[in-house]
Amino acid sequence: MSAIPGNTPAAKAIHLRIRRQDRPDSTHYWQDFKLGYEPDHNVVSALLALRADPVTVAGARVEPVAWEHNCMEEVCGACAMLINGVPKPACSALVDQLAQPIVLEPLPKFPVVRDLIVDRSRIDDGFRRVKAWIDIDGPWDIHEGAPRISQRQWSESYLYSRCMSCGCCMAACPQFGPHADFMGPAPLAQVRLMNAHPTGRYDKADRLHAIVAEGGLSDCGNAQNCVRVCPKAIPLTSAIGELGRQATLQALRDLLG
Amino acid sequence: MAESIQNSHFLLRRLHSLLGLLPIGAFLSFHLWENSQSRLGASHYNGEVVAFLQGTNYLTVIEIVVIALPLVLHAGYGLLISTQMRWAPRRHAYLRNWAYGLQRISGIGILLFLVLHVGMTRVQGLWEPTVRADLYGHMQHLLTQPAIFWLYLIGLLLSVFHLANGLATMGIVWGLTASAEAQRRFGYVCAGLGVLLAVIGIQGLLGFLP
Repeated sequence: MSAIPGNTPAAKAIHLRIRRQDRPDSTHYWQDFKLGYEPDHNVVSALLALRADPVTVAGARVEPVAWEHNCMEEVCGACAMLINGVPKPACSALVDQLAQPIVLEPLPKFPVVRDLIVDRSRIDDGFRRVKAWIDIDGPWDIHEGAPRISQRQWSESYLYSRCMSCGCCMAACPQFGPHADFMGPAPLAQVRLMNAHPTGRYDKADRLHAIVAEGGLSDCGNAQNCVRVCPKAIPLTSAIGELGRQATLQALRDLLG
Repeated sequence: MAESIQNSHFLLRRLHSLLGLLPIGAFLSFHLWENSQSRLGASHYNGEVVAFLQGTNYLTVIEIVVIALPLVLHAGYGLLISTQMRWAPRRHAYLRNWAYGLQRISGIGILLFLVLHVGMTRVQGLWEPTVRADLYGHMQHLLTQPAIFWLYLIGLLLSVFHLANGLATMGIVWGLTASAEAQRRFGYVCAGLGVLLAVIGIQGLLGFLP
């Protein structure tokens, strides 16, 4: 990674350029910060260090930058933001591997709450719309153990279970945003996962009916940016192809009985 | 939840997708092959190709139901779909993302081209019998003007791209191709088909030149 410009040890500084916004309805502005170099910084740890001494390059002491983080091991999705133009989790974005200045912006397509914090409740709305869960409990004893699935099916489904609802796939999607109703790739991938589950498949038709409606599967434009930016390497576009097949077959069942 | 066949959004999207292949894509392929016979000369083109088409039974009904109506539906709904595009080709400079944007832009370009193309051939032929009598000569007169030749070349290439890329994404939409590998393989097949149609189309254009 020595080839990355502006990142030689001689630079001995970490240059952050951060898009800031005080309130949801206020206009944004940019501020530049420099931190002393330390090896093994990631973007979250750099922002933590900045919070201790939030002074801009111009020498002004400003309000600390607001952002979200939680797990620090790329499983919670809370710290996703636009880093040098790419949507990704900040905790696993290593400073030594980023070109400087490191430009930090809030995750696009979602309404900004403050600085790098966005309101990502639309992700959960999508999960609710498509019933991205499994009903395991009933009021009766089902007299059966957990249904078994093959190792092959398990390993395929496991890929989709890694989704941490960070919103990177939606941020990169040209069909997703405040202008449109499209739910984005992540909820669709969960339909793929839940429909394949031995218990979840009982609600397969319901989920398919939910995703063929407005804002669902048909609103995908097949730009396939989602699968490129997904930090968990989830095969989102395969899910969309498989769901296309399931929706086609479901439509035939709806038509012909 | 409404069933898929009662959901107009789903039905319109699938109809739009289907119309792009059948009949529009099929007609485009036939149209390019048919006009590639321009290379066989004026007497063959006027006497065999055009005369056969002009003598076809129910020609007007076929032209309206199989060509005009599907085109209007496909183009109209396509224009609606294209308003959802918020394209960032430089931020996400991937081939499929470029194809996504070009699919929508080419659609608008094709629509403009078709208005001119149909206007200066089929519509002009309605009141000018000489156009119908010697279509080869009429096309030669048009295509020897550089501006019109370039218009046709660009219109041809946009149409062929739109069909080939539309066919590739249609595979995903209908669920023919699910895995990334299958989508890539089918993408090559569609690209090959596009190149083939482009070659046939260009040969057709060149065949009209003196």
